[in-house]
Amino acid sequence: MEFRPDGSVLVQTPLSMSRLSHEELSREADEVARLVRLTLGGDSAAFEQIILRYETRVMTMAARIMGARDEARDVAQEVFLRAFKYLHRLDPQKPVEPWLMRITVNVCRDAARRRQRRRNTFVDIDGPETIDRSADQYAGLARKQERLILQRALDSLPEKERLAIVLRDVEGLSTAEVASILQSSETTVRSQVSRGRLRLKAAIERLIGGES
Amino acid sequence: VNPPPRPALRRASPKRREGSCRFSKDVLALHVEGDLPDASAFVSSHLAACEECRRFVDGLHASQALVRSLRRETVSRAECAGMRREVMSIVTDRHEGWALGVERAIVLGFRRRSYALAAFAVLAIASVSVLAQMRHAVSGTTRAVAVFEAGDVLLRPENYRDWIVASAAATSANAGRSTASRAPSHTVYINPSAYREYVDTGKFPDGTLMVWESTSHGPEIPDGPHSRSPVLLASVKDSTRFDGGWGFFDFTGPGGTVVSRTQQLPDSSGCRACHLRDAETDHVFTQFYPVLRSASRLDGQALLRMGHVFDPSSRLAPPDAGQASAVTSDAQPLPPYMLGGLRRSLASHGAQVALPRGRLRA
Repeated sequence: MEFRPDGSVLVQTPLSMSRLSHEELSREADEVARLVRLTLGGDSAAFEQIILRYETRVMTMAARIMGARDEARDVAQEVFLRAFKYLHRLDPQKPVEPWLMRITVNVCRDAARRRQRRRNTFVDIDGPETIDRSADQYAGLARKQERLILQRALDSLPEKERLAIVLRDVEGLSTAEVASILQSSETTVRSQVSRGRLRLKAAIERLIGGES
Repeated sequence: VNPPPRPALRRASPKRREGSCRFSKDVLALHVEGDLPDASAFVSSHLAACEECRRFVDGLHASQALVRSLRRETVSRAECAGMRREVMSIVTDRHEGWALGVERAIVLGFRRRSYALAAFAVLAIASVSVLAQMRHAVSGTTRAVAVFEAGDVLLRPENYRDWIVASAAATSANAGRSTASRAPSHTVYINPSAYREYVDTGKFPDGTLMVWESTSHGPEIPDGPHSRSPVLLASVKDSTRFDGGWGFFDFTGPGGTVVSRTQQLPDSSGCRACHLRDAETDHVFTQFYPVLRSASRLDGQALLRMGHVFDPSSRLAPPDAGQASAVTSDAQPLPPYMLGGLRRSLASHGAQVALPRGRLRA
């Protein structure tokens, strides 16, 4: 909880990326609940309003997990189609955003498995395996190279560790929120995050070609 | 005061150990992002003293900074708009399957109490209905059907002991009696569907299967006309298969065993002639089977009270004219369903008696 200069209070929503005051949070929750009811009543325009509220969040998260924007677009599309299909299963007392995050993770898992099967079938002809070293081990890398290294390092992680790292370190969610989305325990998430960070560090150092 | 970290956190497995310091790298990996607030002071004090772990943490900070840099990358509004348009076009055109529609109706309906109660009521009614049909189906499957193989070879009916017992054996009553005075030592069964048909119509339908089973084996105990002491006999009514409508079978094997299939007995066996001559109703000795007699809704005592002369050996004799309508003061009302059976029975025996209309008393 934080206090704003104007005297209002900032609270953490179930997902810490959404930082709203109590009043804003309450109004937003009521509005989303109303849109959900309208959608369930057959009003597709209300569902478009729901998409508008969460599309950036969902698509960005998908892009970070999948590491490719074209795939992120497909993932986001599938996420909202599933959300529309199973909106009746959503507990009206609970917020929509964590539910959408869970769907996003599940769709990403499915997409990653399909991608893995494709890679097993076709030869990967992506960029070079190693990156030229720059004078400064990290800061001197061009942004594109950084991006490539990071993506390769993330890809080298086991799926569960990669998801934990993206949700905790990239999305900035708390351990409890990550555990909720992954439907796991906080202890398990902490363990996955710890192992993931160590593996990621080792992978980055290996790709750069340096040793710690 | 921060509690000291758990001992397990301090231990480092040999695989994870880098350099000479045994401090857990897992703990350091959590410490760099503030995931171990309780152990923060402990880790910081170790880092102040350990150059190797400080270098390791610096490397972790660098890699984590690279990871966090991904936060700057977001998708554009234009990309989102394109995706949204596609979703909405699919949503508008798509028709969900009936199963999802039912699920949605149930889930949403159960959020309203009245709907939930109504759903429970419908479910309960449907369950009772289905269960009742299942019970009916089960009883229907037990209906005995004579199964023939290769012409007139009859397979021994299964589960006939679960059928209607037309005549029960009286073995205990035979104790100490002479052979001549013994009561029948056999049980007669009739298949349930034929029994029900007989109850309703007074006639044995095609498909009637009656089984005669001896409860005392051995040639020293002859049982009525079956003096050759058979073990298991059967009679089947099938007008399309047998002359006279009935076929007779003996499943008795060598040494008193029971065989699984048998040929129809020839007329020379005397079965058909005896059943035709002496059986009261359509080759069946209903005069000896009280269950069938009462089930046919033609009570013998009622007939006697009506003035009929009833003697199992001499058949039914019609009463004198006028006696059928005799009403006594202490007589009980004759149930209406007996009227039909009475008419049928009298007609089958050639009795031309005009029964009074209205409420007949016996």
